[in-house]
Amino acid sequence: MKRTGLLYDERFLLHKTGEGHPEIPERLSAIMQGIEKADLLSKLIPIPVTAAKMKWIEKVHSPKYVHRFEEACMLDLGELGDPDNQICPQSYDTALLAVGGILNTIDMLMEGKLDNAFCAVRPPGHHAEMMDAYGFCFFNNVAIAARYLQLQWNIGRIGIIDFDVHHGNGTQHIFDQDADIFYYSIHEHPSFAYPGTGREFEKGSGPGLGTTLNSTVLPGQGDEEYMRKITLDLLPAFEQFKPEVILISAGFDAHAADDMSDINLSTEGFSWMMETICRMADKYADGRLISVLEGGYSLEVLPELLKNHVEILLGLKELQTESERKSHVH
Amino acid sequence: MFIDKSMTKNVVAVGPEMSIVAAREIMVKNGIRHLPVVVEDDKLVGIVTDRDIRTAMPSAVLFDAEHAAQLEQLAGVKVQDIMTSGPVTVSPTQTLEDALLMMEMHKVGAFPVVDGEGRLKGIVSVRDLMRAFVSVLGLRDPGVLIGIVVEDKLGQMKKIVDAISELGISFGSVLVARTWEEGKRAVFPYVLTNNIARVRKHLREKGFTLLDPMDWYLDQVPKK
Repeated sequence: MKRTGLLYDERFLLHKTGEGHPEIPERLSAIMQGIEKADLLSKLIPIPVTAAKMKWIEKVHSPKYVHRFEEACMLDLGELGDPDNQICPQSYDTALLAVGGILNTIDMLMEGKLDNAFCAVRPPGHHAEMMDAYGFCFFNNVAIAARYLQLQWNIGRIGIIDFDVHHGNGTQHIFDQDADIFYYSIHEHPSFAYPGTGREFEKGSGPGLGTTLNSTVLPGQGDEEYMRKITLDLLPAFEQFKPEVILISAGFDAHAADDMSDINLSTEGFSWMMETICRMADKYADGRLISVLEGGYSLEVLPELLKNHVEILLGLKELQTESERKSHVH
Repeated sequence: MFIDKSMTKNVVAVGPEMSIVAAREIMVKNGIRHLPVVVEDDKLVGIVTDRDIRTAMPSAVLFDAEHAAQLEQLAGVKVQDIMTSGPVTVSPTQTLEDALLMMEMHKVGAFPVVDGEGRLKGIVSVRDLMRAFVSVLGLRDPGVLIGIVVEDKLGQMKKIVDAISELGISFGSVLVARTWEEGKRAVFPYVLTNNIARVRKHLREKGFTLLDPMDWYLDQVPKK
């Protein structure tokens, strides 16, 4: 069994988004319930949560934007720039705690106290740009984590895998020119899904040309297409890049039961994907893998999806061979 | 939407006496495919395209010796020998819609823009129009397209806009497909939100019929 960390804090529930918004505290409650019910909690190593230092937030976001976010919460403006980005007075502090917890996770991982970890955080991050909140995201958790690995722990090559059904425009743009951070995303084709970026011809620019890779999936597709694209696109790219640490932007909204997309990934499809990523982490990164929650809005399927996700991180689920898995899914 | 707001103003032009070899070099260097041809006082007399030049050039499959000889001969060929004289032009005060419809009609990729005295003021190409339409479609703003099929009658668009506005959501653009089916139109609002589930649910509750994304099209009726 692996030493898997779990980042969770009840204060992550304090970011409230109001009626009609899918990114709600109940998501985390559902996830924790799935993990608890399967008796996994005692097997997981708790990670302390402290607010992130401004120094690290500002490695990704402009001070002006951070200030605007803080002020909007203090004044209780209700939203940050757009009705998608609902806020309450506690949102800013919650976002700081989420980032701080992730940075603590990195410290424990790099100090050898953990093999891998799952970070059950809110608010999510991958749509957040340097100077703007977008699509329920305020601080780009994974982008800040990658910068922290680079600058604090001198990690040379960091691989980000974003399987949220929406393209992580923020993360892609932040590392567009960075040859040392590989951003891979698989998502619903941008002509049919928010935010409209992540087309297959977007491959990074300048020195970062070739370290951005997008796989797009058409509405109605599911397991078979995910397997095909991950096998054809991601596996050879990481074989060449050989990341020393892997970060996951883990969104669970590609599931067939999630009404935020037209993609029909199954529960088994998610497991296949996570097992494939864990194998890559073992092969290139000495197992070092941190999974950070992004989207996923179906309160019905989140408990099981996250139970499986954590079991795979712990190494409790038998890592099936590809052929076995294929025969199972079809 | 006047052409002078979207056209390329710093237009590269050549004189009629220039050799076509030199004209080709100018095109390659500037990454352009159309060269307006002007005489004194910027008076437009013609246009030469990369296609005109390619047609006049020797084939690359010729043997080297033969190729060199032909190139030498070509050095004497002037732009005025191969240009289109008196090309179709537009004026700066015509509109982008004019240019778009004229491109479709004349099947050309660019028009020189000239003033009332026939002086060259710019050039407007497919690329300029594309840039303008990428912008008006709102594709650079984070958002998502929704397909709705409605009766082809007055007031439908208002209902859609009202329903989406009720949710406090802004529009990047709205497209309409006119050839949907008898008596129907398909409306495609590009809405600036990630909360697609809420928008879809709200529209369904309002009685709208949403289209399966895999069935979307704009102007070509799919084969039955």
